Amino acid sequence: MMSNVLGLIFSYSERENLREMTKTRTLASLPFGGKYRIIDFILSNYVNSAIYDIFILTRNNYHSLVDHLGSGKEWDLTRKRGGLRILSPFSNPGSNETGVYKGTIEALSRNMHSIRRSMAEYIVISGSSILCQMNFQDILKSHIERNADITVAYTRAMNGCNIIPQGVNLLKMDEDERIHDLIINNDDINAQDVTCDIGVIVLKKSLLESLVADAMSYGRYDFYRDIIQRLSSTLNILGYECKNHIFEISSVTGYMQANMNLLNEDVRKNAFVQPIYTKVKDSVPAIYLEGCHVKNSIISDGCKIEGSVENSILSRGVKIGKGAIVKNSIIMQNAEIMKTVILDHVILDKDVMVRENRHITGHDTYPVVIEKFSIV
Amino acid sequence: MIQTNSKEMIAMLLAGGQGSRLGVLTNNVAKPAVPFGGKYRIIDFPLSNCVNSGIDTIGVLTQYQPLELNAYIGNGQPWDLDRLYGGVSILPPYVKGSEGEWYKGTANAIYQNIHFIEMYRPKYVLILSGDHIYKMNYDLMLKHHKEKNADCTIAVLKVPIEEASRFGVMNADDNLKIYEFEEKPKEPKSNLVSMGVYIFTWDKLKEFLIKDEGNKNSDNDFGKNIIPAMLEEGQNLYAYEYNGYWKDVGTVESLWEANMDLLNPNVPIELNDPPWKIYSRNGILPPQCIGENAKLHNSSISEGCKIDGEVENSIIFPGVIIEKDVIVSNSIIMPSTIIESGSLIEYSIIASNVVIEKNSQIGLNKKPILNNEKREITVIGQELIITEGTIVPAGVMVDKSILEKGA
Repeated sequence: MMSNVLGLIFSYSERENLREMTKTRTLASLPFGGKYRIIDFILSNYVNSAIYDIFILTRNNYHSLVDHLGSGKEWDLTRKRGGLRILSPFSNPGSNETGVYKGTIEALSRNMHSIRRSMAEYIVISGSSILCQMNFQDILKSHIERNADITVAYTRAMNGCNIIPQGVNLLKMDEDERIHDLIINNDDINAQDVTCDIGVIVLKKSLLESLVADAMSYGRYDFYRDIIQRLSSTLNILGYECKNHIFEISSVTGYMQANMNLLNEDVRKNAFVQPIYTKVKDSVPAIYLEGCHVKNSIISDGCKIEGSVENSILSRGVKIGKGAIVKNSIIMQNAEIMKTVILDHVILDKDVMVRENRHITGHDTYPVVIEKFSIV
Repeated sequence: MIQTNSKEMIAMLLAGGQGSRLGVLTNNVAKPAVPFGGKYRIIDFPLSNCVNSGIDTIGVLTQYQPLELNAYIGNGQPWDLDRLYGGVSILPPYVKGSEGEWYKGTANAIYQNIHFIEMYRPKYVLILSGDHIYKMNYDLMLKHHKEKNADCTIAVLKVPIEEASRFGVMNADDNLKIYEFEEKPKEPKSNLVSMGVYIFTWDKLKEFLIKDEGNKNSDNDFGKNIIPAMLEEGQNLYAYEYNGYWKDVGTVESLWEANMDLLNPNVPIELNDPPWKIYSRNGILPPQCIGENAKLHNSSISEGCKIDGEVENSIIFPGVIIEKDVIVSNSIIMPSTIIESGSLIEYSIIASNVVIEKNSQIGLNKKPILNNEKREITVIGQELIITEGTIVPAGVMVDKSILEKGA
């Protein structure tokens, strides 16, 4: 039954502000949860829901995503029927349009030639800024049973987020979950009694084709504003509640919070209830040397730890020297922290080196981000 | 038959042995599939060595308890051995015409697969076994084989002369040409011992395999029959000296020691070696999680583990749960085993999927321990349940669940 479904992933977000972290990479390839990248959680949702035909829409800086995904083998997506395809932006010969889309609708429209060719009947769209363990079979079943034109997944509380970040779509629904309005959150507000869109949309491919063509002819480019909001009175657009834990990643504090939430056992169990696939690196197991103190942390393969690590998330191949103290921090792949360094509320990007005796301290509300390849 | 170009050298990996000296650890799996080194299995070492040496065609000869090994190797993708032409092939014994037979010996196993080898028309054949831990570039050995214009090259290791009597000893001249081979001699004349790694020029090997098969009194074994027969007929046999770390992990003690060697910085086996990675089939597991009460000393811990107890000088495989107030020291805990709170594990090998319930003591040594005395290793077999409060004394090998309390 699921073979007639196509997955569509937007690898970027139009509203993210992740400072240096997305300077050289698209949002979907941002490392998250130790050894993973954001795309791993999204792709695993599809694969675990038996959807093996997936397109990834890219806009800019997607080379790290291409590098990470390869042929899609590690997600079981190297297939003759379906499989993984990356749709890269291009400009038509003779036109002076650039590869940058004016909005989600234009992105879909420009790639419609590929989407149209798919034999799928339904499309499940995911964004990259909100992660949540979800079974797409269930949402699709509800979509068909309730005779919806469009189904939009939502959450009642951004679990773990104290505030709803700016730019999140808030859905107004009646008792039957029919969406009659949509507002775009324009200020960080407290998460009380709101229903937030989580970027997962289900609809028929044929409907998507006509909606996109229609919107384009009027010069409308935003899927939420120009399709969901504008057509909420004419189409049967229904909400579908997702009760699993939500990771919201559109700001540095949100990213920090989302990672730290993984240290909570219930959240972790919920996030890893299904296998999450990622690129295999064949790293050696983590080595804990004499004199290390590790508490309440997530550690990936290939790490070598001689110092102290507390409330932190370490990606693969991180080295922590003697006497170093790493607290409340996120350390990405192959970063090296030398002797007696102190880090607190710091995000070290890949391949950063922090030399002996350096002290770096950020704050809960403003973590320090150290750019890829920096030497401190 | 599908053929493209021929392969210069293919490898044949003998993986059919039971490994009975590993006791309960090989009750359900062949020795090459026994977990090793925190995330690997023994067979990952020869397979990775092959791939890293540029050998992309490997036949794995299986016979004893092959199911887990077959599933583990699969299509060979983790080792880059999913090839259009070549790759890894599992070769169990099979029925030929009206009859078929088990592999009678190492040489017979190769003999029965002559057709497989001929499919690739190799010039040389590398014979490996699946029970050694080492990193070796077989390409350099092949170069030596060609330089010496040898018919057979045997990889050898220098060991202290007093230990040589445990191995097959090669007596070679200054030019490394072998003139005599002695299997486990009482008084070894040389300290060069065979590592069980051979390169044969295929035409020669084929000739001797066929001859050996015709001899009813032969054990059809490389060490006992093929090598002596080749020496007798004056073939060119050369030794190739290997200087790195090599360990036979055929016994419980040596398996334990080889694992512990990985934690010892003075032992020259470094697995964190990007140009010479050891590949393995990875489970799909989240990163390991270290809890509030964990204390870790000089240990190796893998993906999917949840550690809240104390771990010292130990190797912890993927998916192991160690609850709080547990002490694990000098032990090897294989995949997906659970050790409940209050338990004490020392000098033990706990196989996979074992549950050790609360307040148990495994490997308890009742006698006082003398200095430098070798501790006996306790082994708990796969998928057993050790009930709350059980005491398993040192040196015991447990092969069925202990469901009642007892000493």
